[in-house]
Amino acid sequence: MKFGKWVLTFFLLSIFCIFSVSAMASDHEAAATHDAGHGAVTEHEAAHVGTEAHGHEEAGHGGHINLGELLPLWSCIPFACMLLSIALFPLLAPKFWHHHFGKVSAVWAASLAIPFLIAFKGAAVHELLHIVLADYVPFIILLWALFTISGGIVLKGTLRGTPVVNTIMILIGTVLASWMGTTGAAMLMIRPFLKANDYRKNRTFMVVFFIFLVANIGGSLTPLGDPPLFLGFLHGVDFFWTFKIMPHMLLTAGILLVIYFILDSYHYKKEGLKGAPVEEGEKEPLRLQGIYNFIFLGGVVGSVLISGMVDWGEVNTLGIHRAVQDWVRDGLLIVMGILSLLATSKKLREYNEFTWFPIVEVGYLFIGIFITMVPCLLILKAGVKGELAFLIAAVKEPMHYFWITGSLSAFLDNAPTYLTFFNTALGAFYPGMSEAQAVPLLMTETSIYLKAISAGAVFFGACSYIGNAPNFMVRSIAEEAGTPMPSFFGYIVKFSLLYLIPTFVVVTLIFF
Amino acid sequence: MKIKKILFPTKFRELAFNSLESLLELKEIGLKEVVLTYVIPRDEVGFVPYGGYMKDEEERLREQARIRFEDWQEAITQEGIESKIRIEVGNPIPQLYRIAEEEKVDLIIAGRKKRTALEKVYVGSHTLDLIRRTSIPVLISKYMVRFEWEGELITKVNDHIFAKPLFATDWSKPSEKALKLVSSFKGLTDKVMVTHIIGVKISKNLDKSELRRIERESKERLGNYCDTLKKAGLKAEPHLFSGRSSAEIIRVAREHKATMIVMGTTGKDRLREFWLGSVSHRVAEASELPVLLVS
Repeated sequence: MKFGKWVLTFFLLSIFCIFSVSAMASDHEAAATHDAGHGAVTEHEAAHVGTEAHGHEEAGHGGHINLGELLPLWSCIPFACMLLSIALFPLLAPKFWHHHFGKVSAVWAASLAIPFLIAFKGAAVHELLHIVLADYVPFIILLWALFTISGGIVLKGTLRGTPVVNTIMILIGTVLASWMGTTGAAMLMIRPFLKANDYRKNRTFMVVFFIFLVANIGGSLTPLGDPPLFLGFLHGVDFFWTFKIMPHMLLTAGILLVIYFILDSYHYKKEGLKGAPVEEGEKEPLRLQGIYNFIFLGGVVGSVLISGMVDWGEVNTLGIHRAVQDWVRDGLLIVMGILSLLATSKKLREYNEFTWFPIVEVGYLFIGIFITMVPCLLILKAGVKGELAFLIAAVKEPMHYFWITGSLSAFLDNAPTYLTFFNTALGAFYPGMSEAQAVPLLMTETSIYLKAISAGAVFFGACSYIGNAPNFMVRSIAEEAGTPMPSFFGYIVKFSLLYLIPTFVVVTLIFF
Repeated sequence: MKIKKILFPTKFRELAFNSLESLLELKEIGLKEVVLTYVIPRDEVGFVPYGGYMKDEEERLREQARIRFEDWQEAITQEGIESKIRIEVGNPIPQLYRIAEEEKVDLIIAGRKKRTALEKVYVGSHTLDLIRRTSIPVLISKYMVRFEWEGELITKVNDHIFAKPLFATDWSKPSEKALKLVSSFKGLTDKVMVTHIIGVKISKNLDKSELRRIERESKERLGNYCDTLKKAGLKAEPHLFSGRSSAEIIRVAREHKATMIVMGTTGKDRLREFWLGSVSHRVAEASELPVLLVS
């Protein structure tokens, strides 16, 4: 039976590949003829660029060929299918998805990579290697390091979840999120938060606001906070530039915390707990264990910071030129994670119910996301010369960037969405310019657009369970602990539309 | 030191019930209660990528386990033994460790590794992890095994495992604890083979006279161990060998048709075990016989 399924998959994939290769090749020829005035492009040249290009920018902009101008719009189909799989499978076939998500990711990655490689040979190899080495590898290493280190910190003690205590806990998580990542902060705080409130009847809204603030909005201040911002950092956005969205973050977090406090106070009173005598159980003093992991977190912050400040030259890895300091940073992050593993006792991790499964999932899914998104990014970078010119023409105002980046981030993962619109902005404002030249201009001349993209990607990630990776982890832990959580649509209708969207309207009116 | 309460965790692999049935003979030496345990691995039901938690799947697995356990309970009750069911979600090894402590069991039963085509190792890393952590005796029950002996592929059913145990001692404190446990086997055991191996590491650097002295001392100690067992009403005979400890224990157990191997284990952590090695763990992994480890 299993063999049959694999044969069917292989058969479908083969048909798709044959169809794709012939179609891409015909588009390739047509584009080459069409571009004769600008200098015709041959496969030989494409391969030539692939082997001689010095860095992504040259292959994308400054070299002999710009794949983004040649690629058809439908080459983005695997990317769309990958994201739709993430959005729909957990809803429609959760059991199948849970056991086969890696295969699904591999199928979509192969459906793009095979025809892409056959059609564009060396240039395609270069683009795929570039996204893996320059984006995927550092992205996963950072997530792994933050996940490992924060999984070694335990908050123990007896807390009684009153409205004030809960609001303070969410506030602490929100502050920590920018420094230990939304995943790290959420994993550190969610179990004590649930334990403190296990005597409360209505806990659903608490966890939802926890997801809003700790698992999303809190991570907007540094590239460590949320994956989209780290991708921006990898593409040249300064480490401290993200502090420019502090006013947006403070306003959003402020509004949501006030709403939370009012809601919690209302339910607390309704549940008859206000003024009720406190049950005297066995009290455990509040304490943090594994605090030496904060040193390793400091090491992570330092490593990322240094990699953005120094220039130690470049090194060629498999034809991809990467800065030495970037490799050093990745190495240091791995060292920090390993030190945390060695220093932290097994019991602390077990207390946190630490498991590698979530990070393995992210690893499998994101290799599919990164590979399938290559054509989409290249087309967007080509600006008005690419097949997504209509999108670039439609997205003009900062408000558009905020809402469109945001809306898509709510239903697709926010990291690829950020990178998509980051490239849309580069294509719109600085077409044909190398990334190294364009990004500093995007941070200064047109910074409002980058703020809109950054805030949109991070904030709207809270709108659904699939907007950001920690959302589903928090949901899973809360449900296991017996807190009823709303359905996928229930979450959006009862909470996101009611509390988040009006808050984002206020943010738009004030800032964009 | 008596076995009154045992923890029987299971993943419901083939022959799990037969394995349990074969252990019910412990009633003869005072077994009163069996705690039937199934830990649903959290990764099976939780952290669905971008999904959350599969409550329905957890309920299904719980129900499935409960129905099977209730069927098993009938067989246990027929033997006049009490039983209890514990089904939990979590990380299996820490969870089992916690349940064993909570239930104050006297013995944990660990299953053998999932059967593979080429069977060289019978114990998985999870079981070894459990053995390293707990101070409760662990019996690695290997109800049915396949192994190669003198070029032949043999399938063996390990039944009546307490009939003729080979008790391998290294004179350590855990070995003394194991001796106390074996002493309680009266009524189940025909004969205990008390065995000591003078390891290669010791024998290779010693001159003959020193070796003779160690041999004499070892025989004397073996005699004392046998006396202790005889006082407890068991037949016992001493065996002294020299060579690579784990390989010798396995060889002697096979040649003397032992039904199980009993050993003390010092509970080295993973790192120390990597450098120093662990005879008991190697025996547990490589022997086709059930192995009872006492730490």
